[in-house]
Amino acid sequence: MRRNWQSLVAKMVFSGCVTAMMAAPVAAQAQSHCVTGTRKPPFSIGWANIYSVPTWMKQTTDTINSEAAELKKQGLVSKLMITDAQGSANTQIQQIQSMIDANMDAILVDAGSATALDRVISAACAKGIAVISFDSLVDSDDLTAKIIIDSKEWGRDAATWMAKTLDGKGNILVLNGPAGVSVSEDRRAGAMEVLKQYPGIKILAETNTPYNSAPAQEAVTNLLFSQPKIDGVLSLGGALSAGALLAFERQGRAPVPMTGENYRQFLELWKKTGIKGWAAMQPNWLGAMAAYVAVQALDGKPVPVHVNVPLPVITDATLPSYLARAKDFPTDGYIYSPYSQALFASYLAQK
Amino acid sequence: MMPSLYWQIQWRRNRRLTPLYGVVLLLLVVYGWLFPGLFSRAGLAHFTQSWFPLALVAMAQAILMLTGGISLAVGSLVSLGAVVAATTMGATGSLVSMLLVLAAGLATGAASGAIVALLRLPAIIVTLAGSFIIGGLALIILPRPGGMILPWLSAVLAGNNPTVLLGLLILLVLGWKFYLATPGGIALYAAGENPVAAYRSGIAVEATVIAAFAISGMLCTLAGLFVAAQTGSGDPVIGTTFTLNSIAAVVLGGVGFLGGEGTMRGALAGSLLLTVMINVMFFLGMPPVAQYIAQGIIIVVAVALPHLLGRRLAP
Repeated sequence: MRRNWQSLVAKMVFSGCVTAMMAAPVAAQAQSHCVTGTRKPPFSIGWANIYSVPTWMKQTTDTINSEAAELKKQGLVSKLMITDAQGSANTQIQQIQSMIDANMDAILVDAGSATALDRVISAACAKGIAVISFDSLVDSDDLTAKIIIDSKEWGRDAATWMAKTLDGKGNILVLNGPAGVSVSEDRRAGAMEVLKQYPGIKILAETNTPYNSAPAQEAVTNLLFSQPKIDGVLSLGGALSAGALLAFERQGRAPVPMTGENYRQFLELWKKTGIKGWAAMQPNWLGAMAAYVAVQALDGKPVPVHVNVPLPVITDATLPSYLARAKDFPTDGYIYSPYSQALFASYLAQK
Repeated sequence: MMPSLYWQIQWRRNRRLTPLYGVVLLLLVVYGWLFPGLFSRAGLAHFTQSWFPLALVAMAQAILMLTGGISLAVGSLVSLGAVVAATTMGATGSLVSMLLVLAAGLATGAASGAIVALLRLPAIIVTLAGSFIIGGLALIILPRPGGMILPWLSAVLAGNNPTVLLGLLILLVLGWKFYLATPGGIALYAAGENPVAAYRSGIAVEATVIAAFAISGMLCTLAGLFVAAQTGSGDPVIGTTFTLNSIAAVVLGGVGFLGGEGTMRGALAGSLLLTVMINVMFFLGMPPVAQYIAQGIIIVVAVALPHLLGRRLAP
């Protein structure tokens, strides 16, 4: 039913495009979805943040600010406007509507809900505004581009690493982010796909906590009391792993192989405890890349709706190179891999 | 004598709310000045759409606070309404689906009301527990955002035309006026202000509280239905932030925590203030950090003004 409805919308949008092109045959040929070619540089960019308080978001906003500053120098961006929905998808809809009302040229969005923004984003797209979704993605494809780090692949790779590290046999805990949130559900779905193929791996318990170390530490502490034999912790979020390692330490239990994210505290504990570890990341520069991609699309370069970013991974071997740069990042922040416009361009170019 | 007493009371209530109305009006004027498109059909439609769900949950919260209760389950009820609408609409059609949404709110509301009134448990605890149960239920019905709302319903309720929405708001306000004119509505204030006295004067206090909870629950799931229509889909955690915002709107609107004190128009004005504030700050180009501070200042001013002016306004 949903598919039918989506294809109906797609048809309506498509026929809308056709009419628009027939009405204005002289306009520059639009190469990217939503972009009509009528907007000229320098472009105004709106950054519709879902919640500005978490450190991950502050770091992400920093990368957007510095990318916007660089694009300003290149004469491509006039101003960057930032909103904060304070965690509410409804407020985010309201703020994106305001960005449409203010006729911004581009909107970057970290979605508070995978589906709730569909209609307002389509409305922006219909006005010729380049909409770029990153981090928490929207399900809809009626936008200029989605910058995708495959959350399912994240889960699959983490689970594969864990299964191989334990030689396919052992008891594990699975730490998830909040229930009902797409990123968290998708990472879990990917992990479960793999774990099904390893009957020797037994899931003792699963947790759902916010992506914060304190609640994760509490949850793992409780599990440590009830579970005498834990061989690995499959954590699907960085701050969760830090909380888990702290829980092991506080109880004097020997730490076990663990997956995680590029959360600075986890990387430091990983080195300190000497565990076998694996971490993926949702690099903060996805925000900077979103700004870059928006400007490219508005400037007439072809941008595909799905822009795939290969999942960056940290292993026991590459851990030192990340820790060497730790001092440049906040203590409760995320140590991301280096980035540049050239890197973004290479991701845009690949199919 | 009756009409003159009625208008005297109305006048006194309005006078206490004048500063809030003033702040709301000022912000609306500033918003309209910064964004003249507000006065177009579509502009007005989009603005009322931003306001409507908060207006509904503010009404839901106000009814309970008038009985001396409070609800921490507002947000999860909104989520429940949204997921029920988004999961049933494809199979049952819009009418049945909407009735299911309203029934879900009525039933859960009445159940929590019964627990509060008959077992004499504090509303804050019952609704806190209720929020976990209802929130869990919403996650079971729709584990991941999805489902669908018939596009025509989205277009009617949340399209480029404000008429249906403004009509609904007027209907709700008239409905509330009508309810207040019935014995049930009078009992609502009486039971909230002094339950013992209300009981002694022959009011069925328990029934009044249960009815208030049921209506409140229905308003919450209705807000969920609207949010689902506005977004075109369901999301099991979409309502979370409504709990706190509904309380903020109602308290801003001068409804007291102790029951029996306050007005629905105050609660609506409070919710309008919270909504218009966000747009004004956007068009003023404020950075998010400044927005937090400005938001706090506006709220304090709106609450403090009546007290500062209180001495002069006192009859």
